[in-house]
Amino acid sequence: MELVDARGKSCPLPIVLIAKALRSAAAGDQITVQSDDRAFPEDIRAWCRKTNHELASLETRDGFYEAVVKKP
Amino acid sequence: MSVASIGGGLAFDERHGARIAALESEVFELQRRSLEQETSLEALSGTLQAGGQADKLSLIVFSGSLDRLIAAFVLATGAAAMGMQVSMFFTFWATAALRKDAAQADKPLLARLFGWMLPKGVKKLPLSQMNLGGGGPLMIRHLMKQKGVASVEEMITLSAELGVELNVCAMSMDLLGMKAEELLDYPGRSFCGVAKFLETAAPGKLTLFL
Repeated sequence: MELVDARGKSCPLPIVLIAKALRSAAAGDQITVQSDDRAFPEDIRAWCRKTNHELASLETRDGFYEAVVKKP
Repeated sequence: MSVASIGGGLAFDERHGARIAALESEVFELQRRSLEQETSLEALSGTLQAGGQADKLSLIVFSGSLDRLIAAFVLATGAAAMGMQVSMFFTFWATAALRKDAAQADKPLLARLFGWMLPKGVKKLPLSQMNLGGGGPLMIRHLMKQKGVASVEEMITLSAELGVELNVCAMSMDLLGMKAEELLDYPGRSFCGVAKFLETAAPGKLTLFL
């Protein structure tokens, strides 16, 4: 599974990077994105709702968030 | 039962049967027409919604200060990442933010004067507050790097990759004596007037002035 490491990057880069990564992905592909941006949980939820992607998981790791996003 | 009464009954049934058939076909015709009208109303409301609610962000970037340009490009790249159609309209002081570092075209004295006075590109932009004679922007840039905030230069590149449309007000360019060759290269950049902006922004959901 492709990993987008957006740790250390601030708004709007986490969603910009995942949008770019999912553009080249095929339907059904899953991408993991890591971010330590405080706004990330709300932003990734909003991004998935708006762009009709499935947020397969959103977890807190050691000092950062990790989300798995599935392309419809 | 007499023959006459049977004949009368048949005539009665026939008359009513014909009337019922006529009514049935009338009801059928009314239903068909109402369905037709419903379909055309649905289509009309769809058109109206699409016309009035396009998922589109239009930004008028008026200010030529670094902090406002950061806000403009965060919104633009963020909206493009959200799948929205994004158009930026650079006008007045913001046009100076699009200058190339050292470009200075051959032009009349007053235009040259403006050329000296206006910031030479995005790297030379002042802050709208706490500019501190140019110290403010240096500090902000340092902090942005430290905190992982993309620089305006990086966000311009990202905007181009994400298909953000960039329009520059032709009247402002004229007024400030700026020439097309002084502006940084951006795919599909166009010069426009107020009509182009209004046509683009009017059907959109979101328009901001920065």
